[in-house]
Amino acid sequence: MNWHHVLKLISVDIKSGRLIRGQRLRRYRESRVLQYVMYGGSCLLGIAVGLLVGTVYSGVTDPEMKTGLLLNVKVLFIAAPTLVLTYSLIFTMMRQIQRAGITASIQPPYWLPITWGEHTLAAIVANLIGVQLAALLAIVSTIGTVSIFLGETPLAALTIFALLAVALLASATTEIFRILQVRLTGAVYKTSGKAAIWVRFFGSLLLFIAFYAVYFFFTSGANFVAIIDVFASGQTTVWFIPYLWLGMALFSFMNSRIVDTALFLLGALAFLGALFTVAVKLNSRFGLYEPPAIRISREAYAPRPSIWSRLGFSLPEAAIMRKDFRAFTRRRELMYFFVLPILITMIYVMSLTRTPYFESSSVLSAMILLVPGASMAPVAAESLVKCKFAFIVIFSCAVTLACSIVGILIVRPSPTLMLAALIESIFLIISLSAVSLGAGIKGASFVEVPRPRMISPRAGLINTITCALLAGVILAPLIPYAGAMLGLLDPPSQSYTSLALAVSGAIAAIVTYGFYRIAVKNAEDLLAEVDT
Amino acid sequence: MTTVFKSAVKLKEVAKRYADVVAVDYVDLDVRKGEIFGLLGPNGSGKSTLLKLILGLVKPDAGSVNVLGIEAAENPVAIKAQAGYVPEVPRLYEFLTGMEYLDFTADLYNVGITEKKARISEYLKALELEGREGDMISAYSLGMKQKTALISAFVHRPQLLLLDEPLSGLDPRSAKIIKDLLRELASKGVTTILSTHILEIAQAMCDRIAIMYEGRLLAIGSMEELRAKARLPGSNLEEIFLTLTGTSDIRDVVEALME
Repeated sequence: MNWHHVLKLISVDIKSGRLIRGQRLRRYRESRVLQYVMYGGSCLLGIAVGLLVGTVYSGVTDPEMKTGLLLNVKVLFIAAPTLVLTYSLIFTMMRQIQRAGITASIQPPYWLPITWGEHTLAAIVANLIGVQLAALLAIVSTIGTVSIFLGETPLAALTIFALLAVALLASATTEIFRILQVRLTGAVYKTSGKAAIWVRFFGSLLLFIAFYAVYFFFTSGANFVAIIDVFASGQTTVWFIPYLWLGMALFSFMNSRIVDTALFLLGALAFLGALFTVAVKLNSRFGLYEPPAIRISREAYAPRPSIWSRLGFSLPEAAIMRKDFRAFTRRRELMYFFVLPILITMIYVMSLTRTPYFESSSVLSAMILLVPGASMAPVAAESLVKCKFAFIVIFSCAVTLACSIVGILIVRPSPTLMLAALIESIFLIISLSAVSLGAGIKGASFVEVPRPRMISPRAGLINTITCALLAGVILAPLIPYAGAMLGLLDPPSQSYTSLALAVSGAIAAIVTYGFYRIAVKNAEDLLAEVDT
Repeated sequence: MTTVFKSAVKLKEVAKRYADVVAVDYVDLDVRKGEIFGLLGPNGSGKSTLLKLILGLVKPDAGSVNVLGIEAAENPVAIKAQAGYVPEVPRLYEFLTGMEYLDFTADLYNVGITEKKARISEYLKALELEGREGDMISAYSLGMKQKTALISAFVHRPQLLLLDEPLSGLDPRSAKIIKDLLRELASKGVTTILSTHILEIAQAMCDRIAIMYEGRLLAIGSMEELRAKARLPGSNLEEIFLTLTGTSDIRDVVEALME
């Protein structure tokens, strides 16, 4: 193992954060001092918390209370490795999810004189750098400072060692999962052909559902102390799980069982070594693996008129709409736009809140529709806007219809309310689609690096705010209903509903016309820019 | 004492398969020290796999690969340390600046600080990248990325250069500099294996040329030897290549496209 190489690789891996943060691509400058402020701040925070707890402990005069406090702190020490393991796993895996879209760019330059062992070790360490390391430093500083007041320095030293080791355990596990994920999903895609699209769809859906299930578990009443208790008491029951052996070593040390302490410590270190070996072997086997292309069709090329052509769209317009639809189903990042409405519906059901969500789908889908390639088509600005607009509206209406059926079945609104909500949804879809399309064309970003983007972040933000404001204006005539729901006003009459919908529709028509013209103007500018 | 090798690269009965596809089919190859050796062949003929076998990145199913006196199967890292490689698509760390990337690779090749600074500055100036070295690589054009990849392959003064389409994307001035540089390096004993589809470049630069087809080496030799083998005296490399690889039906294909 060449440690110099490992350090160089770690420093490079840290810089990959520039891609995740999406920094400016040209003339990149960063402050080295700022990089370390977070870690310094974490240490200071940890020491401050430690001093506070230590001072409180020293100030307690009641011996019984003092013993109780000491015991509680010791329980925290024992639970700390499992807590750090859990959050390190979550953070390192989240980091890998963030980096999933930029895998090609951070693939090791395999022709350089580095070994897979060096590469793997660097990846494992670098994975911990950032928020994870800052949190770890804060905990370690707190434990170190508190231990001085408690007179438990040996236990604290062992705890700190265990925390560092357990963080590496988590990161090594994440590295193994990362390689397996790349290899397995690639294999699934290769063998499943066209079904790969469905695999990707359901895979994405499952990932989000799992994430939200964990989220709901943690936000459904469990508090921090309860979680610590669960970890501290639970790990002695399932002591045979190697990930808990560091916590078990601390537990044994606290109970003066030195042999058990040594055994658990050695076992944990051996387990860490085994994980590292597995990660190296997997990296050397699959590290340079590239997922194979998905073969959609084995048929010979046979063009036939599409449904869009039959609906009156010209050949170039129909071609762009077909391409948009394929982009939605085949591009990983765009697949989420099929997943999100389903997910939103499920969260809606899970949380049983009655938040309207209709407007979100059109805004989001409009924002991503301008995929690279559109500007290459031999198509006039008017046609470009027309086909994009039609596609967004059709897609959003389909999503809204599906979500509405679920909403109607669950909420069972009155026929008037149901009709009003659906009409308003259509108004919002049409008007906000025009707004988003204009912004999407204006802020089109064809830069695939640092990550695939269809719209610049600034244009996206401006569009979101504009959409939110205009949605408010379009929905303004329905304010009395909100007042009635809050019990501030009497429910409006039937005739007011008709009037409110008409006014809302008029506002939506004005917004649609205005922003549609803006979209056409932006499209003309874009095409002119591409031509030059 | 320095050991002098007559052969820089020696392959004996080397074979490599990927599932049902035969990438390299029992190839024997001997590339001499200080030679510029051209590797030609249609897409999918096994050129890139051969380069990867030489660099020790891919293990052969059969046969042995010896590079600069080192068995590739035993110590690939030692071979990589003495070789400079430019892949067909320069996949660099996009999040680094050009200078950071070159600094990183020079460090991995163990180039001393003073030498590193001098060499990188020299190459940046020669290839007109000076002033852009502080930009992130993601903002570079394809040609600039290619130049960065070339500098990183040259920076440690390697004994062996494996270059896959090295001039792709380069402007004429930079391409000329690289060609002249390769000639100069060859005169100092540096071996270059050049894989390219641009037959004019291969004809003009290479001492010997190998033509690969479906994993096999159809012919190896100087231009004169290849002409003799193809029985096409006075012909250029394009005619020899098309004759040997059996792809001389091009006129028929073009006519079909024009219909």
